[in-house]
Amino acid sequence: MSSADPSFVASLKPGTPEATAERALLSEIDVSTRRPVFFFLCAALVWLLVGTGFALIASIKLHNPAFLGQAEWLTFGNVRTAHLNSVVYGWATNAAFAVALWIMARLSRTQVRHLGILDVAGFFWNLGVAIGIVGILRGDSTSIEWLEFPAYATPLLFVAYALIGIWAIIAFRFRQPGHVYVSQWYLLAALFWFPWLYSIAQLMLVFAPVRGAVQPLVNWWFAHNVLGLWFTPIGLAAIYYFLPKVLGKPIHSYYLSALGFWSLALFYNWAGVHHLIGGPIPAWVLSAGIVASLLMIIPVVTTGINHHLTMFGSFGRLKDSPTLRFMVFGGMSYTLVSLIGSAMAVRSFNEIAHFTHFTVAHAHHGLYAFFTMVMFGSIYYMMPRLTGREWPSAPLISAHFWFCAVGITIYVVGLKIGGLIQGWEMVATTTSEAGEVALRVPLFLDIVKHTLPYLVSRSLAGMMITIGHLAFAVHFVWMLLQPRAVAGAQPVRLSPDAALPASRA
Amino acid sequence: MSDATPNPVDPTPAHERENPEPHEQENFPSLLLLFLCSILVFVSALYLQRYSGNFDPLVYNEEVQGAGSAAAGSAAVVDPIAAGKRLFVNNCVTCHQANGQGLAGVYPPLAGSDWVNDGEEALVRILIHGMSGPVVVNGVTYNGAMPAFGPLGSNWKDDKIAHVLTYIRQEWGNKGAPVTKETVARIRAETAARTKAWTAPELAEFHPKK
Repeated sequence: MSSADPSFVASLKPGTPEATAERALLSEIDVSTRRPVFFFLCAALVWLLVGTGFALIASIKLHNPAFLGQAEWLTFGNVRTAHLNSVVYGWATNAAFAVALWIMARLSRTQVRHLGILDVAGFFWNLGVAIGIVGILRGDSTSIEWLEFPAYATPLLFVAYALIGIWAIIAFRFRQPGHVYVSQWYLLAALFWFPWLYSIAQLMLVFAPVRGAVQPLVNWWFAHNVLGLWFTPIGLAAIYYFLPKVLGKPIHSYYLSALGFWSLALFYNWAGVHHLIGGPIPAWVLSAGIVASLLMIIPVVTTGINHHLTMFGSFGRLKDSPTLRFMVFGGMSYTLVSLIGSAMAVRSFNEIAHFTHFTVAHAHHGLYAFFTMVMFGSIYYMMPRLTGREWPSAPLISAHFWFCAVGITIYVVGLKIGGLIQGWEMVATTTSEAGEVALRVPLFLDIVKHTLPYLVSRSLAGMMITIGHLAFAVHFVWMLLQPRAVAGAQPVRLSPDAALPASRA
Repeated sequence: MSDATPNPVDPTPAHERENPEPHEQENFPSLLLLFLCSILVFVSALYLQRYSGNFDPLVYNEEVQGAGSAAAGSAAVVDPIAAGKRLFVNNCVTCHQANGQGLAGVYPPLAGSDWVNDGEEALVRILIHGMSGPVVVNGVTYNGAMPAFGPLGSNWKDDKIAHVLTYIRQEWGNKGAPVTKETVARIRAETAARTKAWTAPELAEFHPKK
């Protein structure tokens, strides 16, 4: 929209209550970000469904190898890779764009302009992801974990990212004077961190590959930091914004926010090296990575305490508010997954858990139980404000939440148990009659058989999650088919308990 | 979005019921938390100091301790027998066999071999440039090909060649003296111009028994 449009805020009479003026301002800002944010959310939803499909195929293949065995495009290596990249760059990053842009514009109290460039960039980002996924299925994967997109897709992604990311940064640059809220710190940092990570990793691994042991170092620096310096700050920014927003309460402590942010910024960047424990990497690099992983306890615990003390006394609201439910599930998962992650970096535990299903469970714990659930919560809050429509169905929200929450819980718990069994059996030792301790030569097939029940449980959990996603997608489309809500319309309520305050979400 | 609304800037009902924008309280964090964070930083620093291998880029074992010079010194104290055995197992056993007996007619034995025990001149040359064609070992003729481990082949450094030769000269009852990397370096320099594998007659002058 151009600045010549009549401004609702400007038309307000002097003496309008402050809260009314603020809502009018937010409404105008939301209108300015509406088109790109809505586009990113739709794209995210499509990639979520695509990625879920790939995930189910890959999961079933692990315990039923003949499944789709005739389709050469759908070998396990292709499907698993397509799953990872479609959920990371398709679903999660599109959702992150939407949430980052929307929150950043609101908190900066500035309208986003020149949407045409953002539209083009959004289109090309998703085109790049689509080209990358097709490239992977054709067998053009680069074989570098988390960077499997073939080289012909990635420059497009980087340019598109630069155009998208810069918009939120510009919004911050033209913010109204005043306090910069904690969510803005996280968003601003993440918007700079991601292009740094992505461009360096592409340069050093794909376009001008470094040699030898530096390759895995760069690879895991990138792959771990995508979680920690891109998705984690966006997820935390969303929690920091929506938690007080829904509750109508301030965040407990500015100081805890600051400690959490700066310790994350300081320590996370080092942590990825712990993936290479046991590898041909100088001892001090590994030890530094381990120490950084342990020090991550500081931001995690600090942020967890801050969120918890903000929530304290308001847990009853979980019965009613969809946003709050997903946010609190995501926030608690963040604390849990991060503490487990710190433990996984310790050498003695890493020897067991590494190269097993435990790591896979951990990755889903972080990217799904934390980040994806937080994004779902954000979308439940944003959509009524973007579309002027209310969510039409409480049962569908409940179905979405419970299928996903129970599904991911079964997934994580089952696969972690399976991973531990696998890890213990692979490092098991025997003592000979002469007293010599040696590695028990593992019968690989036996170990695979022992993990089978847990692989099946993963497929079942995946099916539950798929049902949850389908409920969400149906609900999303149904919402768009609704007429615009009239003034005074009430939000969808998950609980019939009238004693609860009306959900603000 | 395609739907045109009369006045798109009107707040939606969701905006009308929205809470004010978030802000933060100034509660100071508990001192216990800060204390525990400090403990964690302290313990981490101890760990890093203990398991950093003196920040030496060549130390891969986190258990290595001591001053920088000691770490550099420990690199020199490689057990040639252990290192040589590892090299032998990874590179030689396929032909010469774990028991050093070789394969009849093709790969000569190392155990009890006159070529292995008696002189190091021929042995080092064979390892650097390889050997092909018939060779008589302990009175039996073998006809195979030994690959080069010098610049024509695997490009091993002097100390690796010295280690594996030292190993085979004391294993399986062999009684040869250790081969030093200085010897290897000297012979490498003398044969630097050579571009192909040795044959047995060419090496006869270096074989003490012939």
